[in-house]
Amino acid sequence: MNCCEFREKYSDFTDGLLAPREGLEANAHLSGCAACRRFDAALRTGLDALRSLPSVGLSHGFGPSLRRRLRGEFAIRLPVMARWSGAVGTLLLVATVGFIGWDLLESRASHRERAAWSTTTDNPVPVAVGDQVPTYSNRRPSPADLRFTTFHPLNSILETEAGRPTAAGDRPRLDVPAVWGGP
Amino acid sequence: MTLAVREGVRGLGHAPSAPFADLEDAQVVQAFLDGRDRAFDELVTRYQTRLLNFIYRTVGDRERAEDLVQEVFIRIYRHLHRFDQTKKFSTWAYTIASNLAKNELRNRSRNPLVLFQTIKRNWDADHRPLQFEDSSSRPDDLFRKRHLRELVEQSVSQLPEHHRVVFVLRELEGKTYEEIAEITGCNLGTVKSRLNRARNNFAAIIAPHLD
Repeated sequence: MNCCEFREKYSDFTDGLLAPREGLEANAHLSGCAACRRFDAALRTGLDALRSLPSVGLSHGFGPSLRRRLRGEFAIRLPVMARWSGAVGTLLLVATVGFIGWDLLESRASHRERAAWSTTTDNPVPVAVGDQVPTYSNRRPSPADLRFTTFHPLNSILETEAGRPTAAGDRPRLDVPAVWGGP
Repeated sequence: MTLAVREGVRGLGHAPSAPFADLEDAQVVQAFLDGRDRAFDELVTRYQTRLLNFIYRTVGDRERAEDLVQEVFIRIYRHLHRFDQTKKFSTWAYTIASNLAKNELRNRSRNPLVLFQTIKRNWDADHRPLQFEDSSSRPDDLFRKRHLRELVEQSVSQLPEHHRVVFVLRELEGKTYEEIAEITGCNLGTVKSRLNRARNNFAAIIAPHLD
């Protein structure tokens, strides 16, 4: 083993990782080579000196400073979590309120619709048809009650849009049931 | 990470709780993830000085090293819930520290002149023949003894960055080759090669000042 080979394998030699035969060769070279012995001695002395250096200590402010930074780290995370959770909670609340409100409106509307078109009522109302005197009916007006009939008013003169008087007859009139509340 | 974790912050800097002092790192990590806030204090206590010395020996600036150690713990705190607990916590912590130290050195080398000198020094260190030249100059013994500490520190700081990290991890932190490979992200052969180069360079720098 020459000096180059020894230097190449020096790390494994010092760490005891060389194969037994190579280790013997390295030891033999070290014994016979002054330059490599000086090199080996310099490295070992330097490493001993390096390892004997006092450990660098932390300043007194390290702990409090780290504590502040970690609190800041958590403070950054907490609003984010709070914002997300608050946003989700708000959305859920709005959705719930909206659903309840929609449900109430729907139920009222359907109730009114059912009430409007029920066939019987406790409060009979008069129903006027044509020239007849309104008579009481115990039913609510229905869409079928809205019908057109022919009205022949006496001495009524109608004017058309052109200004010509026409007979009052055949003027269509929409008969609307007279409805008023109360018994 | 629960709100209860924040309680642990108050414990920083104080003596670690007795229940955690006898636990392995993995158990302490699990205790922290389970919501036992004081466990993070135990991790800080265990690694703060070791990481400080490693980073200081790598970057050469004590104040900056302390800032970087804080940054290491911030990152650990931030990402501990994603740490693969099948791996060693020590290796993970040193990996973060190593990356921060290398970033620090790279940021310093942004100066064009410094960058050129760094590149040249790295190239020389990788390609210089492994020959040991005996110098005839012998500094004063008193000077050597009085300034040995400074000399050794300067020798380490003169090592190229990629040699220095491996050298400090091996010679000062006592990491195995496998751990160094994992920390630095290099394969085993590269670690051995860089360590060998680092040792030769260290010896070449320091030898003229020693008997």
